[in-house]
Amino acid sequence: MAIVLKITPTRFRASGSKLDSQRRYIRKVASGEDLRFVNGQNMDVSGGGLRYVRPNGTNVDDGVYNGSFSGTAGTRVKV
Amino acid sequence: MSGFTASNSRIRVVETVGSVDETVFDTDNDMPHIVGTTYLSNIAVDFDDLTETRNYIGEECSPTFTLEEVLIYNPATWEFVLVWNPGTWEWAYNWYYSSTDRVYTPGFTSTDRVYTPGFYSYDFQYVYNACGAYVPYYEFSVDAEEYSSVTNIANLPTDEDGTALDIDFVIVQATGSRTTAGKDARFNQALPTTIPAKTFSFQGSVLLESSGVANGNSWFRRIMSVYTSGTKLKLKVQETVASIDRGAYNSAFPHVGDTRSTYSFNFKVFFGKFRQ
Repeated sequence: MAIVLKITPTRFRASGSKLDSQRRYIRKVASGEDLRFVNGQNMDVSGGGLRYVRPNGTNVDDGVYNGSFSGTAGTRVKV
Repeated sequence: MSGFTASNSRIRVVETVGSVDETVFDTDNDMPHIVGTTYLSNIAVDFDDLTETRNYIGEECSPTFTLEEVLIYNPATWEFVLVWNPGTWEWAYNWYYSSTDRVYTPGFTSTDRVYTPGFYSYDFQYVYNACGAYVPYYEFSVDAEEYSSVTNIANLPTDEDGTALDIDFVIVQATGSRTTAGKDARFNQALPTTIPAKTFSFQGSVLLESSGVANGNSWFRRIMSVYTSGTKLKLKVQETVASIDRGAYNSAFPHVGDTRSTYSFNFKVFFGKFRQ
């Protein structure tokens, strides 16, 4: 039978363990992120080349790209 | 210390690892969650053929040759020829014996000098004309191009009032295939594509095709991007082409007319938010 709610000194579980203190739930943070959620266009092409926008918002060009696209940094999330 | 607190509108779960309390779950944090899912079938992506231009480079002399009848003097010649004089048998009357004998004279080689007088004759000869005509020559180049198109492929999820939600992120789970495999304009081979045969996920943009020149520099890219704007989910398709030269005169790109590529995708789109 699924656990509705169980609380022990070292562990909390609820809703059939969908919420479990031994799991890691990702959440938005202002800093100290573990990864980023990319949103929006993160590549552009121009002049025969390509610009890739890293999740942190910085650009990586292939040496040929001659456009001016600027992507946005992904949302910081922590695990 | 690990613990659970529920107060007012906040639920918080803390896990103590070593001596550090780590937040596992906190309703005061912005936590990603999916607020809507949309299935989109047969999303078509179509890149047209590239084009090329014939560029005038200059003119080159094209020599001509004419077949003409000419009078030729063939000078007189002296030549030495060896002549073989064969041996002979002859009958001779022998007065002493009143008989007839057979006498052999051996063959020998002699040298004769033979004169052939000069004479005129007609002959046909190709006569070279240094520059009979000037012929223009050309070099072909693939036309540079920047192509972009944006289409609305879905509406964003709405709240109970029918107002589009302010979506924070989109995750696309895609399947699809290249339905027309465009060729590199220079070669009889399909452009490499990055689309896997099975399901793939992406956020933002996907590189579909690319090609490089001899030193490895890119001259050709095709990409697509899926993102939200306003109340719509949009698909942006882009192509960039840098001009490249054929590298040989009077020779067009053999497969410039085979460069069209088409794709068909099925998207499962997850619309996400960090906060309601």
